[in-house]
Amino acid sequence: MAEPVAKAFYRRLNLRRGASLAWASLPLSFLACAFFLPLANIFLLGVRADGQWTTAHLRAVLSDPYVRHLFSFTALQAFLSTLLSFVLGFPLGWFLTCYRFPGKGLIRAFTLAPFVLPPITVALGFFLFFGHTGYLNNALRSAFGLREPPLRLLYSLWAIVLAHAFYNAPVFARFIHAAWNAIDPALEEAPSVLGVPRLRAFFTVTLPLLLPAIFSAAALVFVLCFLSFAIPLSLGGARYATVEVGIYLYAQVYLDFSRAAALGMAQVFVTLGLAYFYVRAGGLWGGRQERLRPRSTQPFLSRPAHVLWIPWLLLSALLFIGPIGSVIADSFSRPLAGKPPGLGWYRAIFSREQSPFIGTSPLGSILVSLEVAGLSTLLALFLGLGGSGALRVLRSRVLEALLMAPIAVSSVVLGLALLLAFRRPPFAYLSDKFALVLAHGLMFYPFVVRIVRPIWEGLTPSWVEAARTLGAGRLRAFLTVEVPLLSQALLVAGAFCLALSLGEMTAAAMLSQGELVTLPLSIYRFLSARRFGAASAMATLLIVITVAAVAVWEWLGERTLRAYGQT
Amino acid sequence: MARLEVENLHKRFGPVVAVNGVSFAVEGGEILVLLGPSGCGKTTILRCISGLERPDEGEIRLDGHSLVHLPPEKRDVGLVFQNYALFPHLTVEGNVAYGLRHGRHRTSRKERKKKVAELLALVGLSGYAQRKPHELSEGQKQRVALARALAVEPKVLLLDEPLSALDAALRRELRRELRRILKDRGTTAVYVTHDQEEALVLGDRVGIMREGGLEQVDRPEELYLRPKTPFVAEFLGQANVWPARLLRMEEGKAWVVLAGEVLKAEAFDVPKGEEALFFFRPEWVEIGSGPFVVEVQEAEFLGHHWEVRGVVRGLPVVLYVSELPHGPLSFQIVRGLLLNPQKAVTAEE
Repeated sequence: MAEPVAKAFYRRLNLRRGASLAWASLPLSFLACAFFLPLANIFLLGVRADGQWTTAHLRAVLSDPYVRHLFSFTALQAFLSTLLSFVLGFPLGWFLTCYRFPGKGLIRAFTLAPFVLPPITVALGFFLFFGHTGYLNNALRSAFGLREPPLRLLYSLWAIVLAHAFYNAPVFARFIHAAWNAIDPALEEAPSVLGVPRLRAFFTVTLPLLLPAIFSAAALVFVLCFLSFAIPLSLGGARYATVEVGIYLYAQVYLDFSRAAALGMAQVFVTLGLAYFYVRAGGLWGGRQERLRPRSTQPFLSRPAHVLWIPWLLLSALLFIGPIGSVIADSFSRPLAGKPPGLGWYRAIFSREQSPFIGTSPLGSILVSLEVAGLSTLLALFLGLGGSGALRVLRSRVLEALLMAPIAVSSVVLGLALLLAFRRPPFAYLSDKFALVLAHGLMFYPFVVRIVRPIWEGLTPSWVEAARTLGAGRLRAFLTVEVPLLSQALLVAGAFCLALSLGEMTAAAMLSQGELVTLPLSIYRFLSARRFGAASAMATLLIVITVAAVAVWEWLGERTLRAYGQT
Repeated sequence: MARLEVENLHKRFGPVVAVNGVSFAVEGGEILVLLGPSGCGKTTILRCISGLERPDEGEIRLDGHSLVHLPPEKRDVGLVFQNYALFPHLTVEGNVAYGLRHGRHRTSRKERKKKVAELLALVGLSGYAQRKPHELSEGQKQRVALARALAVEPKVLLLDEPLSALDAALRRELRRELRRILKDRGTTAVYVTHDQEEALVLGDRVGIMREGGLEQVDRPEELYLRPKTPFVAEFLGQANVWPARLLRMEEGKAWVVLAGEVLKAEAFDVPKGEEALFFFRPEWVEIGSGPFVVEVQEAEFLGHHWEVRGVVRGLPVVLYVSELPHGPLSFQIVRGLLLNPQKAVTAEE
C-alpha cells in the first residue's frame, strides 16, 4: 500500500538536501556567468557614464522622438499583427475542430511549423511571392493584362503585419483548436435543446468558453510580434523599424552601445510587463470542464453548405503555401547565368568560393551554422537536463523563475549582453562563434526543460529505486534507467533546438563580426543584394531541416507520451 | 542464510508518524509476513530496510552488521515492488539481467545469459526472454519482478504486496509458487500484505501491524488461537469479544463472570483489576444446548456452514451453524481467552 504521505517522498531522488543543492547549483552557476552577469552589465552600461550613476542615457533614449516612434510603431504593428492573426487563425481552429478530412493530422502538425520556421525564409518568401515582380503580381498581370503590378505590398506596415499573421495565425489556430476540443459537446448541445438558434448559441456559450484560450494566444502573439526582428528588418527597412531593429542598429551600425543598452533596458521592462500579463491572463480563467465524450466531427463536404469554406481555404492556401512554395520553386527555376539552373543554385551554395555578397564562402556559412547549431544543441540539452533535474529535486518557484529567465529576455538584448561581455576577458579569448553558441544554448534550453521535465517527472520513481535495490549507484541508475527513458524526449528536444539554432538570425546578427556569417545571415545578405537564387536554395535547405524537425517532434513526441507517460 | 534484525524503528513524514518503534528479527531462511490494513506503515518499514527511506531512529542489522548508513545499492537487500517497476525500455532478459550487469556483483555476458535462463525457468517464463514488459500479463510481470530481484542473490528479499494487482485465482496459484521458490532457495524474506489468507499461507511467522506499531509476531496458528490483543483477535478471522469481570486466577486459568454466567478462560495477559475482555471464536462453541440463547438478526449461507449474527443478552455475537434451527438457537462456550482491556482498540478504527 502506498501511504499518501510517503508518496511525496517517493518523488524525491533519495538525495540528501546538500546533494540536491549541489545538483541545482550547476545550471544556476552557469546561468550566473553566461546570462545574469552579462545582462547586469548592460543594465549598468545603461545607467552609468564616466564612473558616475546617471539616468542621462535613459532620459535621452526615452525623450528621443525617434525612440518614441520606435516604441509606438512596434506596439502598433504588434497589435495589428495580433488582430490579423486572430482573424485568419480563428477559422482555421474552427475548421480543424469541427470537420474531418484526409490529411487533417498533417495540417494540425504543421500549425507547429511557425514555431521553428526561420523568419528569414518567410521574409524571402514574401519578396518572391508578394513582390512587385513576384509570383502573385506576375500571375495577376498576365491574367488581367496589366502593365503595372497590381499589389504594392512590400516596404510597408502591411507587409510586416501580413508576415506576422503568416506566423501567428497557426498559433491562434492551435490554441483555439485545443480549447474547443476540450469543451464538453453537451454544453453546446444544451442551447439547441433549449430552443436557442445556433448562431446565438455560438456567441453565448462557445465563444465565452473559448475566450481564455483566445486571450492567452493573443498575449503570446503580441509579445512574439513585439519582439520580432528578422521580418521588420528585411520587409520593413529603416523606416519601419521596431525596437529590436533599433537596438540592433544602435549596437551594430552606429556602435552606440550606451544607447543600445538603455533602449534594451527599456524594452526588457516592457516585455516583462507583457510576460506578467500573459502569466496572469492564463491564471484568470483557470477552470477546466469535464468532458464526458469526445467531440464528434463531420466529414468535410458532407453537406452543401460546406462549400462556403472553399474560398477561405483557397485564400489561406495562397497565404500559407504561396511564400514557402515560392522559395522552393525559385531555387529550382531562377535562371543562373542566363540558363535554366537545374540544381545549379544548390551547387553554388555548396561552393568554397568566397562570395562578395555575404563576405564568406557559402559552404563556409553552412558549415559554421551546422557547427554552431550542433554545439548549442548539446549545450541546451545539458542545461535543460540539469535544469529539469534541479527542478525535479528542489521544486522551488524561485529556482524555476531563475532557470527560465532567459526565455523572458529578447534575443537582441541577449545578443547585446553577450556582445559586450565578449569584448572583455575572460570571454574575449573565445571567438564570436562561441558567443553565438552560448546565446543559442541559453535561448533554447528552456524549450528542452519544457519538453523533458514533464516526462521526467512522469516516470515512476520506483524504476530508479528498483535499479538501486539491484545494486546500481545513483549515477548508474540515472544513466541506465532515466536517460534511456528520456532519450526520445531528448531526441525531440534536440531536433527542435537544432532547427531553431540553424534558423535563428537575431542573436546571430547581433554577435556577427567578420567570419561568423550563419545561414540565415547569408540569406539576408543575398536577399539584400537581390541574389534571390542563392538565397532561395539556402532557404529551401532550412525549410527542409525545419520540416524534418517538426516531423520528428510530431512522430516521436506522441510516442514518448504514449509509451511511458501513464505507466 | 542471513538474519535480519530491526530494532526500535521510527519514521515520521512531517506530522504523520508512519512507523512507531517497531522491532522484530527474521531468522535465516525464514519468511516473515507483515500484515495490516493500508496506511499502517508496512511499506515504510520495507523502504527503510532497503535504504530507499532513511529512518528517523532505530537500527537495522543484517548478520550483525548495521545497514542504516549504507545506500540501497550496497545493502544486499532485494525488493519486489508492488507495481513491479519493470524497466519499460528493457526486455524481460534485460530486466532480469539488470542487477548482474549494473549492480555490485557484475558477471560476464555468458554467465549472465545462463543465470537469466535459469531464473526464467524457475519462474516458468522460459521463452519470454525477448518480450517487453508491456507485452506481458500481470502475472507474468510479477514473475519477472521476482526473477529480477532474485538474480542478484540478495541476502534478504523484501516483497511489497507483490500479488495485490492480480485476480483471486492467480493470486492463490502464485502464492503457493512463491513460497516454494523462496523455501527452495532458503531466502530470508519479509513480505508485506493486507490479505489475511495470503499472510497465513505464506508466512512462517506473521506480524500484525496497527498504526505504525507491531502488535504481535507469531506463527499463524498461534495468532489465530492465542491473540495477545483485542485488535489481533478481531483482525484475523471472526471474533466475539465481550466485556467480562475477572473473579480470580487458578492454575493459570481465569474464572470470569460473562453475561451473568461463570466461566473458565485461558489467560496470558492478566489485567489488573476486575475489568477484562472475554474472547471466543465462532467455532469455539457447542450449539444446541447451553445458557446462551441467540436472538438471530441475520444469517448468511456460506456453503459449508451458515454464518449467524445476532444478540445474546444485549451482546453482539457471530456463530457458525451447520443448519438453521427451527426453534431458539442456544449454545455454550467450550473455549475462551481472557484479553487485557487496556490494549483494547478495535480493528474497525
